[in-house]
Amino acid sequence: MNEFNDNVAPKTETFVLNMGPQHPSTHGVLRVELDLDGEKVIRVRPIMGYLHRGIEKLLESRTYAQGSPFTDRLDYVSSMNNNYGYCHAVEELCGIEPPPRANYIRAIVAELNRITSHMVFIGSLANDLGAVTGMIYTFRDREEVLDIFDLVCGARQTYNYIRIGGVAQDIPQGFEEKVRKFLDRVPEFMEEYADLLNGNEIFNVRLKEVSVMTKEEALACNMTGPNLRATGVPFDVRKVDGYGAYPEFDFDVPVGENGDNWDRYQVRYKEILESAKIVRQALDGMPEGDFMAKVPKVLKPPKGEIFSRTEGTRGELGFYIVSDGTTKPYRVHIRRPSFISMQGLNPMCRGGLIGDAIAAFASIDPLMGEVDC
Amino acid sequence: MDNGIVMTVANLIRDILMLVLGNEFIVSLIMKFIGIGALLGAISGAAIAFTYTERKVCAFVQVRLGPNRVGPMGLLQPIADMLKLMTKEDIIPNGVDRVVWALAPILLFVPSALAYAFFPFDDGAIFADVNVGIFLLIAISSQSVLTFLMGGYASNSKYGMIGAMRAVATSLAYEAPMVFSLLGIVMLTGSLRMSDIVTVQGDNVWFIVLQPIAFLIYITTCMAETNRTPFDFVECESEIVAGAFTEYSGMRWALFFLAEYANLLSISVLTTTFFLGGWTGPVLPGFVWFWIKTLLMLFVFLWFRWTFPRVRIDQMMSFCWKVLLPLALVNVLLTGVGIYIYRWM
Amino acid sequence: MFGKGLLTGMRVTIGHVFGKKVTFCYPEEKLEMTERFRGGHLTMDYKKCIGCQLCAMACPNKALTLKATQDAMKKRHLTSYVHEMGRCLYCNLCVEACPTKTLAWDKNYAISSWHREDMNHQVLTDDDMKYLEKAMEDAKVAAAKKAEADAAKKAEEAAKAANDGGGAAN
Repeated sequence: MNEFNDNVAPKTETFVLNMGPQHPSTHGVLRVELDLDGEKVIRVRPIMGYLHRGIEKLLESRTYAQGSPFTDRLDYVSSMNNNYGYCHAVEELCGIEPPPRANYIRAIVAELNRITSHMVFIGSLANDLGAVTGMIYTFRDREEVLDIFDLVCGARQTYNYIRIGGVAQDIPQGFEEKVRKFLDRVPEFMEEYADLLNGNEIFNVRLKEVSVMTKEEALACNMTGPNLRATGVPFDVRKVDGYGAYPEFDFDVPVGENGDNWDRYQVRYKEILESAKIVRQALDGMPEGDFMAKVPKVLKPPKGEIFSRTEGTRGELGFYIVSDGTTKPYRVHIRRPSFISMQGLNPMCRGGLIGDAIAAFASIDPLMGEVDC
Repeated sequence: MDNGIVMTVANLIRDILMLVLGNEFIVSLIMKFIGIGALLGAISGAAIAFTYTERKVCAFVQVRLGPNRVGPMGLLQPIADMLKLMTKEDIIPNGVDRVVWALAPILLFVPSALAYAFFPFDDGAIFADVNVGIFLLIAISSQSVLTFLMGGYASNSKYGMIGAMRAVATSLAYEAPMVFSLLGIVMLTGSLRMSDIVTVQGDNVWFIVLQPIAFLIYITTCMAETNRTPFDFVECESEIVAGAFTEYSGMRWALFFLAEYANLLSISVLTTTFFLGGWTGPVLPGFVWFWIKTLLMLFVFLWFRWTFPRVRIDQMMSFCWKVLLPLALVNVLLTGVGIYIYRWM
Repeated sequence: MFGKGLLTGMRVTIGHVFGKKVTFCYPEEKLEMTERFRGGHLTMDYKKCIGCQLCAMACPNKALTLKATQDAMKKRHLTSYVHEMGRCLYCNLCVEACPTKTLAWDKNYAISSWHREDMNHQVLTDDDMKYLEKAMEDAKVAAAKKAEADAAKKAEEAAKAANDGGGAAN
């Protein structure tokens, strides 16, 4: 009887769509296995490892000072924050206290880099939703910050500027004017993005109440950063730990309400303005003094282990370093926020359409360099 | 009737041919071929020129300069592109249904080219001024969906399949409001003939004034028909790579590409004809007016494309069925009431 | 709602159609590299180099290969300094490690090459090699002079010692 029914009744099958590793909107080389029922997504499985370079292992075979250029290559649109995380960990391990001026410079460059990274996020989200123009505008404004970084450290993407004990060089002539000029322009172009995207009805219906992640789900996935804050948890390592010069600045932690794509977008959008606020305060209160602490040429941390976390642009960036008392770390583990946020992809995309999966993926803002490490 | 520039030139050629050949049948035949040649030339020329226009407009919107290396101001860029595409290796992927796969890009050109037969370029300059013009146009242009289905299905690719299915699903959604939005015009004109529609607008007022709702519905559905950004579900780069065209490359892909631009021109022409009064206008000759309006519409469509994000497919379908179709029906009702009141007055 | 946002977006984009463009027409206009720009080839002031190998040791990827020789005066001179650009991270650690501040970047960003071998860049120039030859010669001369002087001194000393010894013997 059953067999007979099976033959007669229209039967649909799910099929597996391999998105990536070569796909226009996987932000690099991620492969996503989508189980599809027509257009509807039943399950999503991110498969990573296409950009694995073994950075943890590379760090273990280099001295502590030689490690920092490799952290540039983790999250390559916010290298400053990675440098900061690594150097912060090594400093805690060795008990080095960076001078206050170094902390202020670090805060400025890290927050500027957070702005550029969120600009890339807005741009790539717009691009994935089909509004290519939005991406060009954000990348145009990002160039200004990259010019500033070029002035500070001579590189536009892999900065290697924040070093163990301070920063590589003091800020150059003309830096402050350039940064202030950029900060004055921030509200202008943020308004432009708002005009182009925020108010746009199509943009709204694509993002609002789509791919909702509840607070519990986000915590269960161990999400951090803007993705967690979008669900309404005001968790920000800059506030919670208060490392570096951050306790001296007055800034808000923007949170969302629903944990949908729109909130994830809005949290980052507001964070740009908050970061601009921090940079302005840091410029105003920049102390004089050394930009580098006394660090021995051959760094030999004491035996022990440390887990140190900073607020990367994509969440809590943690470095776990085990020292055996030699010049090289015995073990380095990096808690990469993008990698952990990828776990949220399945609960987000389930039940949506292919277009929603793309939007959800872009709204998590993963970076393959960090996911694969 | 016969007072446009194009018609004057055609009559001149016809007179010269009559002098040389003397046989009216042969002259008519030759004139038909000249007409076909002119139309095909217009299509391919416009399609190639529009690749340049689109790139320039896109670049200007995106604060870039666009192509500016090949020739003066990059004007020869489309020729270089075409040469490049023609000299590319013809790759036929494994596992495609070869006949259907190869046929799809060629067949796509048929409806886009055929639609040009009904465009009133100027007073009297219309290749086939049939009395069911609008009806034929819609019937023909909706055939392009079939070739997307062929191409996507025969590609033996999942992206292609999804793109093809999307093309079919959306075509059902946008065709209905499009037809109903044009119904108001037909009611006002009292004729399906294209030249009548333009003449009526020239004598009275452009239909964009009388039918603003229909105009909005029409340009919305037009963007869906040409698969351009707010509704580009067939191609949909960031979701399904290139949809139905994923497995095509080189000249085969270029045919899809050219057909897209031919369609772009055709919707600009149609919007001009239906709502902006076609060739009618003061002082300047009709042919010039026609092209001014068409290029303006073309710019508007490009402007839309480079400003808006993409709608999700289910949202687009529900928008078409639940918003545009009732609106179009209401428009038909209002038009009827308006005509009744107008006559009563 | 109802298309207001769409119109605002269209206003933004139309503004840029007629606005200023930001494209840089590269080969005609070239950007000035900043003072701290890291990239291109390494350059060095050969006379200042002491051949200490600290740069090579600071390099995380062992991209620098130095060969040095000792002249007759026991002073170290480089004979070869290969910068493998394919391995280089452009992290600036070598430049910072140099105790005599002789290393620098040449700020030439057009460094692409056809072959992999072309990426192994010899930092030392022909002038440097000539200088090396000259230095070696000079050192030889100096060493010979020194040796002569030493010998003379020794002989003198020996003579003195002999004299002294003779005196003592006497």
